[in-house]
Order: sequence, then C-alpha cells, then structure tokens
Amino acid sequence: MSDDLIQLRKGTYHDSVTLMRISRTLTEMPGVEVAMVAMATELNLAIVRDLGFEPPPAGPGDLLIAVRGGDPARAVEELDARLAARTAAGTTTAGEQPPRTTRSAARTPADLVLVSVPGEHAFCEAYDAVEAGLPVMIFSDGVPPAQERWLKELAEERGVLVMGPDCGTAVIAGVGLGFANVLRPGPVGLVAASGTGAQQVSCLLDWAEAGVSHIIGVGGRDLSAEVGGLSTMRALRLLDDDPATELVVLVGKPPDPEVARAVREVAAGMRTPVVEAMLPETDLTEAAARTLRALGRSVPEWPSWPGALRGEPRSVRGLYAGGTLCAEAAVLAGPGEFTDFGDDAYTRGRAHPMIDPTLRLEALSRVRADEVVLLDVVLGHVADPDPAASLAPAVARTPATVVVALVGSAGDPQDLHRQAAALRGAGAAVFVSNAEAARHARSLL
Amino acid sequence: MGGSVTVSTHARRSRVRVTGAASTAVRPVLEGPRSPARVLAAFSAGIYLEVRTDCEPSVIALITGEAARLPNSVLMATPLPHVTVGDDASVGDRGVELGSLSLGVRRWWDPAPALGPVDPLSLAGIVLDGPGRPGLAGNDAVELLASSCAQARLLGAVTAAERLVGLGPGLTPSGDDVLAGLLVTLRHLGAATGTERAVWLADWLAATVTFDARTRTTPISATLLHCAARGEASPEVTGVLRGIAGRQALEPALRRLHRLGHTSGADLAQGISIGLDSVRALSGRR
Amino acid sequence: MSLLSGPPRVITVGAGLLDEALAAQAVPTTPVAWRPPLPGTADALAKVLADPRRTAANELAVRRLTGARPYLVGLRRAAEVLPVGTFLHAGPPIEWERASGPMRGALIGAMLLEGLAGDEREAEAGLAAGAVALRPCHEHATVGPMAGVVSPSMWLLEVRDEEHGGTAYCSLNEGLGKVLRYGAYGPEVLDRLRWMDEVLGPVLAATLARTGPVDLRSLIAQALQMGDELHNRNRAATSLLLRELAPAVVEAAPAQAAQVLRFINGNDHFFLNAGMAAGKVSTDAARDIPGSSLVVAMARNGTDFGVQVSGLGGRWFTGPAGVPDGLYLGAYGPQDANPDIGDSTITETSGLGGFAMAAAPAIVRFVGGEVADAVRATRSMYEITLAEHPAYQIPGLGFRGTPVGIDVTLVARTGILPVVNTGIAGRVAGTGQVGAGLVEPPAQAFTSALIALAAE
Repeated sequence: MSDDLIQLRKGTYHDSVTLMRISRTLTEMPGVEVAMVAMATELNLAIVRDLGFEPPPAGPGDLLIAVRGGDPARAVEELDARLAARTAAGTTTAGEQPPRTTRSAARTPADLVLVSVPGEHAFCEAYDAVEAGLPVMIFSDGVPPAQERWLKELAEERGVLVMGPDCGTAVIAGVGLGFANVLRPGPVGLVAASGTGAQQVSCLLDWAEAGVSHIIGVGGRDLSAEVGGLSTMRALRLLDDDPATELVVLVGKPPDPEVARAVREVAAGMRTPVVEAMLPETDLTEAAARTLRALGRSVPEWPSWPGALRGEPRSVRGLYAGGTLCAEAAVLAGPGEFTDFGDDAYTRGRAHPMIDPTLRLEALSRVRADEVVLLDVVLGHVADPDPAASLAPAVARTPATVVVALVGSAGDPQDLHRQAAALRGAGAAVFVSNAEAARHARSLL
Repeated sequence: MGGSVTVSTHARRSRVRVTGAASTAVRPVLEGPRSPARVLAAFSAGIYLEVRTDCEPSVIALITGEAARLPNSVLMATPLPHVTVGDDASVGDRGVELGSLSLGVRRWWDPAPALGPVDPLSLAGIVLDGPGRPGLAGNDAVELLASSCAQARLLGAVTAAERLVGLGPGLTPSGDDVLAGLLVTLRHLGAATGTERAVWLADWLAATVTFDARTRTTPISATLLHCAARGEASPEVTGVLRGIAGRQALEPALRRLHRLGHTSGADLAQGISIGLDSVRALSGRR
Repeated sequence: MSLLSGPPRVITVGAGLLDEALAAQAVPTTPVAWRPPLPGTADALAKVLADPRRTAANELAVRRLTGARPYLVGLRRAAEVLPVGTFLHAGPPIEWERASGPMRGALIGAMLLEGLAGDEREAEAGLAAGAVALRPCHEHATVGPMAGVVSPSMWLLEVRDEEHGGTAYCSLNEGLGKVLRYGAYGPEVLDRLRWMDEVLGPVLAATLARTGPVDLRSLIAQALQMGDELHNRNRAATSLLLRELAPAVVEAAPAQAAQVLRFINGNDHFFLNAGMAAGKVSTDAARDIPGSSLVVAMARNGTDFGVQVSGLGGRWFTGPAGVPDGLYLGAYGPQDANPDIGDSTITETSGLGGFAMAAAPAIVRFVGGEVADAVRATRSMYEITLAEHPAYQIPGLGFRGTPVGIDVTLVARTGILPVVNTGIAGRVAGTGQVGAGLVEPPAQAFTSALIALAAE
C-alpha cells in the first residue's frame, strides 16, 4: 500500500544542494518509493508532475514536498528534523539575525566571499563582495559572460581578485574552498582555469611530498578573448608577492592567443618562475612532473593497483564527473564514448556527480561486456564522503572491465587508501593519475 | 556548521567524529603509528596531550579559536571535550582519540612560513615597543645573550642560553619564551636577509636548548623549544616577523603578540628584539 | 594584508555544504541566509547594480539625507503654499472616485471648513465635479498625517534644512479620536479646526518668532533615547518641544497661553507633524540624484501605497495599500479598518518609526508583544538600508545609528519590506481613528520602481 503526499510551504527557502541531499535520504528510508523536496521552480514542478503528483499552484519561493510510500508522514517528520537541524546550525549568537545579503555580512570582519547561489543571482552577491573590497570565489556556474567581464573590470579598479564564475576549486593558505583536497603546505602556487585539473595536479604534487601554497581558480572562461585573462594576471601577481610560493604553475585549457600573449608578458616580469602547462599539449600528470623537475625534485612513480580484465574490450566508455579529467581522458584513451556528468546538461535540478552518484551509477548499470569503463572518483572537501560505498558494488556487478582514476590526497577525509582498496576489491584497476588510467584503458583494447 | 556527527561503530560504543586544522609540525606524530598519550593539562581554550613518542613535538595542544595557535596545536572545529588531567588518549594513525572523540585533520597549516627576501638596510629604523614588560627584564643572562648574539660570540650565547632554559615560573617559563623568540627570528630573518652568521647562530643555539630541554623545563615548554629550534612558531610571532619584513603592519601585530599569556607575549617579543638586533649587527659582516 | 598571508575568514552565500566544509576545517565563516530575490527582479537587479553611477549616487543621496539639519522656523498659512483652488492630500495622486472613506471624509470636512459647501451632500457633489484640484502633499514640499488634507485656511509648520537650504511643511496635529485626518468632519471637528485657525496657529507663530528656530534633529535624537520611535510614540518629543516653547507661549499670548499649552499637553502626538516635516525636508535633500536607488518617499492615500526613488524624479510607483495589523480601540476590529493611509511613513523613510522600533519598548505590542520583536524589527531594517544614522541612535543597540536610507535593490534582493508603524483609520467616512499597528507595504511598489530604474 502506498500513499501520495504533497505539501507546499509558502516562502520557505533552502538551497538546492541541501534539499537534494535530504531528498536522497528520504528516498532511502524504508517504505518510501519516491521523495522529492525542492523549491517549486518550473523545472521541479514539471518533474513532480512527471512522477504522477498533482502539485498545487506555486512559485520558486515556495518549498514543494512530494512523497510516495507506505507512511509518507514519517518521511515529512524526518524532513522537518533535518531542516530544523540546519536552521539551528545557521543561527548566530543570541538575538542576532543572520545577514541576508553579502553586503550585510561584510559588516563583520572577513577576508573572502564564497558565492554558490544559482548562477542567475550570483552577480549581486559577487558585486557586493567586490564593492566591499573583498576577494570573491564564484562557485556558481551559468553567470553570463558580460557580467563576468564587468565584475572583473570593477575588481581591477578595486584591486581585488575574482575567482570564477564556475570556479569549483581553490585553496588559500591551506583552506580548501569548494571541491578541494587536504594538501600539505608547500612551495607551489597554482593558477587554474579548471577545478578538477587543479585537483589532479595538486594531489600528484602532494603524493610527491611537494606541497602547495595556494590554488587560485580563475574560472573556465577567464582566458577567453571576452574576459581577457584579468583574473589570471591578478592571480599571477598575487602569487609573485607571496613569500610562501617559490614556483607558479599555470594550468588550463588553451587560451585565446591575444590573451595568452598578455598573460605571458605578466609571467615574464615575475621574480617567481612560472611553469605553463596547458591542455591538451601537456596532460595534467605531465604538468605535475614538469613542476617537480622545476623544483629540482625527482618524479616518483604514481601509485596504481591492477584490476580484473573482463570480457574482450573493444571500446572505451568514459563516465566522468570532472570536465577537464573527461577531456584529458578522451584525448589519451583514444576512440570511445565520453560523458561528462558534471556538465550543465546533467546538473540541472540535481547535485554535482561528485556529490550525487545516481546518474553515473545508472550509466554504469547499462554498460556492455565489450567495453572498458573509465571513470574518475574525486575525493576531498564537499565531495561524496564515501564514494566507494555506492560505486564498488556497481563495479562488482558490471560485466565490463573498469579502470578508475582516483583523484585525491592521502590526507583527504574519505581515506584514499580505503577507497582504493574497496574499488580494487570490486575488480577495478585504480590509478591516482588520470592520464595513466586513460592510457591503461587504451592498452586493454 | 561542522557540527559533530555521532557514528555508531559498535552496538555499545559510539564515537563522535570531529575535525580540525593542524600545524604541519604535528604531522609526523599524527600520521605515525598510533601511540598512547595522556592529558597533561586542560584549560578552557586548550587541552595538552603528552604523547609517548621519541618524535618532537611530543606534546600536542588541542585548541579553540580563542587560544594562541601554538606551533604544536590542532585547532578544533568544535568545542573542546570535558577531560581531566591524566585521562588516557591516543595519537597517530591519522588522528587523535580522546574520550569519545575521534579527531581527524581537514587542513594543515605551516608554523614556519618563509618571510621572503628582506633588504637588511630596511631593518635600520625598526623599534619593537610593546605594552607588556618581559618577565626577565634586566636579567644578567638575557643581557649576556643579547650582547653575545649581536657579536656572534658563540660561547657567551650558548652559556646564556643554558642558564635561561627553564628559568622563570609557569607553564612556559620566561627564559624559554625569550629563547624561542630569538631562535625563530635568527632563523627566519637571518635567511630572509641572507645573514648566514645569524642562521649559523640559530643552529648552535637550537642544538643547545634542545639537548636536554625535556629534563630542564616543563614538557610543554620543552616541546615549544623544539619547535622554535626548527623555526616553528605561532602566527602571533610570525605576524611580528612579517611586520619587521614590511609585509604587514607591525604595530597591531606586536599588540597581538603582547596579549599572549601572562608575560609570554612580552618574553617572546624580547627574544625577537634580541634576534632583530643581532641580524642588524651581523648582516654587514661576512 | 594580502589575501594569501593567512587562512581567510569566509563569508559563504549559497550551498550549505560549502559552508560546512569550511567549518570542518576550523575556518570561521559568516553564512548568509540567502533566498532568491522577489520574482521578476533578477535582470533588473543585475542591471541596476552594474550602473556605474549608482554607488556614488547612493553615497551622495544618503549623505544628504542623514546630513540634513531640520529646524522648526515658523508657521505659515497654507494659502501661501497652495496653488489657488487646490487641496493637498496624503499619498500618491488620487481622484475622488477612487478615494477611500476617510480620505473622502477629510475632503468633505475641508470643503465645509473653507465654506465651499453648505453641507455634506453639497461638498461631495462639488468634489465629484472637480470643484477643487486634488494634489499630493509630497509634490508641494508638504506632508500630512493620515488623510493629510490641507486646505488654504489651515496653518502649516515650516521646517528649514539649515544644511542644504530646503523647506518643508506639515499641518498642525489635531489630537486623537474624531479628527479630520481620520476622515471625521462633525461639528466638534470643525470647531476644533476653527480654534486652531484662530488661536493655536497665530499663538505658535508668535511663539516661534520669540524662540527663534528650534533644532529638530537634536530634539528627535533626544526623544529616541527617551523611548519614542517618532511615529506611533511621540510622548517624549512632544514633552521636549512643549518645554522648549512654553515660556515663549506665555510671553507671546498671556491670555491664550493656558488653552494652547493645555491643548499641546493633551496630545501626545503633537510633535508628530513637526517630525514629519523634518523627515520630509531631509528626504527632499536626497531627491533627483541620477542613478540613485534610494527611496525618498513612501506615502499612502488610503487606496494606493506609493514610493518615489531619488534617481527617478517625481514618478510614483504604487501598489494596493494593505490593511494594518494591530490593536483596535474599543469595540472596533479589523472589519472596521480602512487600508493604510497617510504621509507619516516619511518617518520610516528617514530612519525613524518602525525602523527605530527597538528604541520604543513601551509600544512593542504593535510588533508582536515582546521587546525582542522590536529589536528584531529594527535589526531586519539594516538589511535594506544604506546607512546608519549618525545622530539618531538607539541606546538598547549600543547606541547604533538607526537604519536609514531604503534601497529598492536591497528590498528586491531580500524580500524584506519596510516595517511601517501606523494609526488605523475607520473605513467609513466620519468614523475617525479605530486603532494603531503595523502595516506591510506592497512589494510591487518597490519592484516596479526597480524595474523603472533598470530602464533608465
């Protein structure tokens, strides 16, 4: 027996990642068939209708709850408990109300603003930060290029750094922002136009005990002609002035030629040496190796663990969470079908695949015996606290050969060695270098 | 908000997982094999654990945001647990186990950040005036230490240092704080200005004070001397060095340093001042 | 210090997961309780925020608003200020047809007072036929509480801004109960108005000629520290003003001094009108600064709630006036209440009234009953204002300046609407006051102003 429950809470707002995590928890409750808790946007209303519910008229400022199962009221109780726990955590000292805008929050002392509101609203919050003279990391994607350019021009005037938009990763003085890893402090400063690219390079450096001073993300569009590399150039100058940084590494996708010239001019004027490692000419593992050589250190053998060979692989199937890792693998693994589940097309209305494995697990359940599945597992802050828990059983079940690029550091909360062991136990070959994983996959064909 | 999460591992025992940010100085102990430890002292803003190990630091401080970030500390993301002196704990295998708490590190910070190049001429006009009075103001051994260091007279410096280890009351005796301030200044400012004699002096003094620190002073102070010998200090000390190097405002950094402890801040500042004078005096010489 | 010199303290806005990850690293964070902006404003917000004039324009506007130094300088007959054949009224423009009960009542009363009609029916017919022109007070440097009807024979308080040189006017307060501003026009109402015309006005004019200008900025600042919020509570301010004027009243008109002083003493809200003129002269100083998103007027006519914005000249942006939520007198209840009415929201516009609620614990019942509710009301207004008033301070908040200078972009971003304290008029013409409480302005007045600003 199952009942449908639909509820609308007017004017109650929670961020989408929080709601998706709660929806997932509710769905996993015994007796619950479907649970969706989301803001009542057009998209979410359509999904709820597709699930066979009849939602009442609602707007994007209202919270929509749809549950189907044996005892939907229990799921709502659980929901309330979880939301109450979040609200309690968000309350500041007695009598104080939490600030409602970045402008208001900037009245208290702060050094950096981290913006992750939906892209169409990110501009206002980032603007407040720049206007208050605070550096800002814009994790949100979907910010129009014109707004990006405008913000970065204003930031130039105010002398502050804008990381992003669509900046997934940064590390400032050891503090991991967004998807970042627990790294040992060290001499290398990274300027990265790609989040997972920065994660791969920094984790390999950490393996080699080289350590990282800072990772400054600039956003995937910074080196385009439209944006003009403003953040990249500011990041280079900042790192040049930083006594902890002995070597700067520039990681990214190929820049616009005109922008590349301007960036190189800045790099040439720096006291700190700069290593440039742009995809696709230089893969990320080679970027790490080149960095180590520039530091006068030897390049270690990157750890890997062999896996089971199943069937007779004829083609590579890339199932990726990281965009840059996916692009790198597609180049190195040769012909095959590669999907970047972190792309906008897959993240509308659900959390990033590094947090929510659902879509990739579905894809994994459909692969054929004559394929080599190549996939990335990215560890670190914000990422799934135990990715192997859901992935290892799926790897064990699939008829295909599986190769995993495990991007993480020894200090990450997920415990890299435990993750590697679980994946190996399920039959996957595991590499800490994505490039090596891709080459290995190719060698199996 | 980084709230603690209760995880039931066994039917009977439940452990509370908490996280924090640790100085890289304690990384060898934290990442080594699990060793027994006990609570050495417990205050509202910090708990000191003495670890049975030959590594230094052998004393680890678990602190809250209110405490000074000692170079041997782990800054907790959650409030400190209630413990009593003598309670058992264990340290190693990627974390700390204390009572029902399992502490994991989510961030590492460097207690010995490089200063970057500094022009020795830029040090000429710097005066380190602070509000606090050092515990050993006017002490003979301190005077001997200052004059010997400024002239790179090793015998005098070592003699004075030996007399100062463990001198004074409290958890970190004044003599140790003066030496700690001096050690990190000679090492960092010496390296930053290219004053090799200062670094050479730091090496000798480091060897002197660490030789028998464990028997000459309190365990906490001994650990801090070991850290200072390697150039590791709290951000309060590093901030003053940065101020001297012209990388941040000196006066507020000095005020922050002087607020530490009863006389600790003023004692550290006295050591820094001796170090600064020595670097100034020695930077001309080869 | 450079961004890179140490672990940053982080303001987080958006996904809670990212804030949690920082807190787990023992990084101090300030999470923003963000929610999406009011529907349909996202594009306009981005456009208005990106207007290069805006920051400087708002700084100038708010500096002028908070820097004004209003002095009560004298009294003037409304005939000197009004165009011929015109009555002024509260709020945005309105025609007789759409006017509410209390507005109609007050207009009828003014027709009778001015001798333009012999009785109620004649007055209504005249007004319906357009016998007098109806114009908003705000367009003539004037403000009026509740119906705010000003006719030529009335006396107006004259307030000058000694900083910027502006002048503003407001009528004399009649007291509570059955009064013209609440739409009552019975014989006792008209008798009182005639007495004000013949006795109160001339005596006060002579009094002010003796005292010289009275510093209202300092008087308001003192009253705030004595428990007034200067909209629904004016007891302290009235007392202070009375103390200031009393000797000169006696000197100026020994024969009438007792009745004049008794009248003022009997009306806790006597100061309100002087305070409103002070608010008007201050907000007018902030008008017409191109690019500024500062609200320079909020006013209601009993039918519409209207706002004006510094960068948009004299244009009104309106929405339906809401019915206040509050405490009712005697047997009256919400069914007897007229929608919100009056120019007295000039107090909120200038950082007083509901915005200064935390200063007035005596009247916290209007905002929910507890002192904490009053503090919360004031605190929430800092989210939508550009500044803290340098002179108007709240002792209970550690002498923090009152929140002042509403920014339409902040209203749209937070969805927080100005807290407005108000009296409640009876919906039937002639009833008078039925209660007092709080009213929520219509969001659309602010969002339509924002959208107009984006189209500039």
